Amino acid sequence: MDQSHIRNFSIIAHIDHGKSTLADRILQLTGAVSERDMRAQVLDSMDLERERGITIKAQAVRVTYTAEDGEAYQLNLIDTPGHVDFSYEVSRSLAACEGALLVVDASQGIEAQTLANAYLAIEGDLHLVPVLNKIDLPAADPDLHARALADLIGDDPEHVLRISAKTGQGVKDVLEAIITRMPPPDGDRTAPLRALVFDSVYDQYRGVVAFVRVMDGGIRTGDRVRAMATGSGFDAEEVGVMSPAMTPIGHLSAGESGYIVTGLKSLVDLRVGDTLTLAREPAPEPLPGYREAKPMVFCGLFPVESDEYPDLRDALDKLSLNDASLVWEPETSQALGFGFRCGFLGLLHMDIIRERLEREYDLSLIATTPNVEYEVTRTTGEVLAVRSPVDLPEPNHIERIEEPYVRCSMLTPQDSVGAVMGLCQERRGTFVTMTSIENRQQVVYDMPLAEVVLDFYDQLKSRTRGYASLDYEMVGNREGPLVKLDILLAGEPVDALSMIVHRDSAYARGKGLVERLREIIPRQMFDVPVQAAIGGTVIARETVKAKRKDVLAKCYGGDISRKRKLLEKQKEGKKRMKHVGNVEVPQEAFLAVLQLDGQSTR
Amino acid sequence: MRSGEPGGVAHLYVHLPFCAARCGYCAFVVEVGRDDARDAYLDAVLAELERERGRLGALETLYLGGGTPTLMGAGRLSALLAAISPLLAPGAEVTIEANPETVDQNLMAALAGAGVNRVSLGVQSTHPHLLGVLDRQAGPDDAARAVRAVRAAGIPRLSVDLLLGVPGQSQADLAADLAWVTEVGPDHVSWYELEFKEGSAIASGPHLPPDEDMSADLYEEAVEGLEAAGYRWYELANFCRPGAECRHSLAYWRARDYVGLGVGAVSTVGGGRWRNAPGLDRYVAALGRGDAPPRTQEPLDADTRRRERWMLGTRVDEPLDMAWAGSPDRPAALDVLEAGGLLERGRGTVRLTRRGRLLQNAVMQEIMDF
Ligand SMILES: Nc1nc2c(ncn2[C@@H]2O[C@H](COP(=O)(O)OP(=O)(O)OP(=O)(O)O)[C@@H](O)[C@H]2O)c(=O)[nH]1
Ligand SMILES: C[S@@+](CC[C@H](N)C(=O)[O-])C[C@H]1O[C@@H](n2cnc3c(N)ncnc32)[C@H](O)[C@@H]1O
Ligand code: SF4
Ligand SMILES: [Mg+2]
Repeated sequence: MDQSHIRNFSIIAHIDHGKSTLADRILQLTGAVSERDMRAQVLDSMDLERERGITIKAQAVRVTYTAEDGEAYQLNLIDTPGHVDFSYEVSRSLAACEGALLVVDASQGIEAQTLANAYLAIEGDLHLVPVLNKIDLPAADPDLHARALADLIGDDPEHVLRISAKTGQGVKDVLEAIITRMPPPDGDRTAPLRALVFDSVYDQYRGVVAFVRVMDGGIRTGDRVRAMATGSGFDAEEVGVMSPAMTPIGHLSAGESGYIVTGLKSLVDLRVGDTLTLAREPAPEPLPGYREAKPMVFCGLFPVESDEYPDLRDALDKLSLNDASLVWEPETSQALGFGFRCGFLGLLHMDIIRERLEREYDLSLIATTPNVEYEVTRTTGEVLAVRSPVDLPEPNHIERIEEPYVRCSMLTPQDSVGAVMGLCQERRGTFVTMTSIENRQQVVYDMPLAEVVLDFYDQLKSRTRGYASLDYEMVGNREGPLVKLDILLAGEPVDALSMIVHRDSAYARGKGLVERLREIIPRQMFDVPVQAAIGGTVIARETVKAKRKDVLAKCYGGDISRKRKLLEKQKEGKKRMKHVGNVEVPQEAFLAVLQLDGQSTR
Repeated sequence: MRSGEPGGVAHLYVHLPFCAARCGYCAFVVEVGRDDARDAYLDAVLAELERERGRLGALETLYLGGGTPTLMGAGRLSALLAAISPLLAPGAEVTIEANPETVDQNLMAALAGAGVNRVSLGVQSTHPHLLGVLDRQAGPDDAARAVRAVRAAGIPRLSVDLLLGVPGQSQADLAADLAWVTEVGPDHVSWYELEFKEGSAIASGPHLPPDEDMSADLYEEAVEGLEAAGYRWYELANFCRPGAECRHSLAYWRARDYVGLGVGAVSTVGGGRWRNAPGLDRYVAALGRGDAPPRTQEPLDADTRRRERWMLGTRVDEPLDMAWAGSPDRPAALDVLEAGGLLERGRGTVRLTRRGRLLQNAVMQEIMDF
């Protein structure tokens, strides 16, 4: 289609502000999805997305819209996820667009991801169309929020659309605004092909499918294609568009988005952000790509039953076929046996992967405390990336340790600013700035990522009665006085319970942790000392007192089987325990650190 | 299925399920409000006895348990005992369970006349408030009266059942139970820890079992108190004056064969175990037709039997003979447990220490692969 009749845009917003629901209405209004096939958040097709009611993966769709001017337009829309773990998907999506719908819940107003995503779009020179959604809600305050939203993006409050994605009210105006306010693409169709890969999936039958935005030139089915960064080549086996099912159309030209079936066997062969060009007429320069999504959080995943180790490896293999941000390498623990150290984009990502492994692959897993990646310089000058506390060298071999910092932006009601700042201070944050945004404050702190990944978000929510929102982005590594905290059971260090903590919080962490472990570890036949230690010095100690008595069922009237079955049942319970030396440790113990406020409870 | 012991089965249990009401903690096979069916039930039990007679040898022990056996009434019990007496060996132990409020001198005299020489009295507690928590029919004075009746009838042996770990029971409450036992002086005491059994009313709240330390304190108090009063702690929950062990229970703990008659009753003979299904009417109907009662069979393989011998044999204070019981699944555990003071070893024998007895489950888990 002629470029003047094409619009490429993303839908961006804070979590749950209604992006996917708005996409539903657009699909419906343009007839892309029939009434019969329509269901809520139709683009959220993964089971987990549907269950959790959130978008995890960005989805691109093409629809055709006949505007008020009587002309037919090709709209390429991308619905993006709102959760901070997946914000890299937003950046990728924006790179494929000229415009974005910035959606804000009219009952909640601007939130942390609204800001983050708006800034991303503005930096990318995209044209923003502001949309206040959910005006059907009684608590909606469109006037107040329209002003703030207009302020944020330097627009006129009159330009802020007021809609309900739920009822469909105002959605037509959104489509008109897309046509009239967003610029069409202006690629050079005669130039050599340059297509940005903004997403890719692995299909069991067809191999890697690339989602591309064609910037210059064009591509046809059968063309020989080269990926400019990785250098891999392939034949475009099929060229088409998502509408929303895969529909072959044979050709994509500058300004258009669609998919290419590459036949490649692994996502590694085709990096998201790469530029595709034609082998027979290559472009001289690739498009500016974007940085790869880097795992930020690591944890050990171990099968509860050691014979499930090969199954776990296969499952990770399969999941990473479609999730290039999931990384893993084998790890061995004295306490937990063979497993994998896995890297994730954040805690939600970790949670999702774990749930998929357990559910889709029927595995039962123990996850160790998540940690970040430390950059450790040895006294020899050698620099190591440490992703597991176990890999931390002895203290006297360490010159310095750096840990990743993130810039946290929190949006909070005025009366909770003190609570938010208190929390950030406790978590080793350094104040950056504070700005007022409509009736709220944006509080910005630089914080060690390690302090954010544990339970920071939960704490933030609970200390602000649920009103604060959080967004963060990496700002690089900083040095800190970090130490390894070891936990010893019956005198033996348990590798899977070690963690790297700030020296000043080591005592409180250690004390809190041994107290929790004392509660979680069932009484055994002998006293079990539970100790926290730093470099061999015990800093906290508790004792799980020896068990004194079992429930001693009798065998009345010769009912011996009943008693035997009670023992058999007990045995089942014991099977779920891990043996660490002589001590039986329930699986929850390995997550004890997570449920901890970082502080002693006494 | 292997055949039973040479000479036939020497231990017979008869289940008499009728009760006036179901106590809140009870999950046994019990029939409430079915007194009308007692005659038919007696006939059915006698019919089952006929069917099983071939397995029985000279009976060393007979145990009439329940339910509340005394609710059968003197006539039916006498008829039952009359049918069984020809099978009894000389000097056989004949026990009947009795709820205190159902005991009177006439009944006891009739039972004595029919051959009963041991009464097991379900006292449970001497405190009105705890009897209330347990939903018992008996009041605190019923027990003393029942004891007098048993003795007046000349029944030589008396056991009392008590419970510990009843919600709300303090150490002082238990001390009062102890004082009562010492004063009454039965030759045998069963002091069971109250179990919160699935399906019983008490298990569905609001009461909670005491925590481990509290129940251990109570248990130790009961053991020490009875020992001070001259009783031997001869099984986890059982105590006796010298020579007054319950021979019927010992047969279970020694993994001997036994036959059980009546609804819900269990039998173990040779390599097999079967359980009569609960349900009075089905039981009566089947035997009325001349059929076997509805049963579930449980084959016992050699490993199961071996594990059961350990499980049962370590309950008592007599050393377990490993040559008889069979080898432990994890022999190395014996060393660890011995070093930890949980068991003692003799020549080819094993016996739990006092601490080990309170941890019998855990000890079993260490030694055997259940
Ligand atoms: N009342 C009302 N509810 C809405 C409206 N739009 C969306 N919702 C509801 O808001 C919730 C979130 O909607 P989604 O469309 O999943 O939000 P999202 O922005 O895609 O969420 P993420 O993908 O997780 O970031 C759902 O329960 C929707 O039904 C609206 O206009 N009015
Ligand atoms: C099956 S009962 C029958 C005896 C008689 N009907 C009575 O209640 O006294 C035998 C003994 O088991 C004990 N008992 C019953 N339910 C129990 C429970 N839930 N936990 C522990 N012991 C229990 C009581 O001490 C009772 O005396
Ligand atoms: S405890 Fe005894 S009296 Fe009470 S219901 Fe059970 S068998 Fe009957
Ligand atoms: Mg969504």
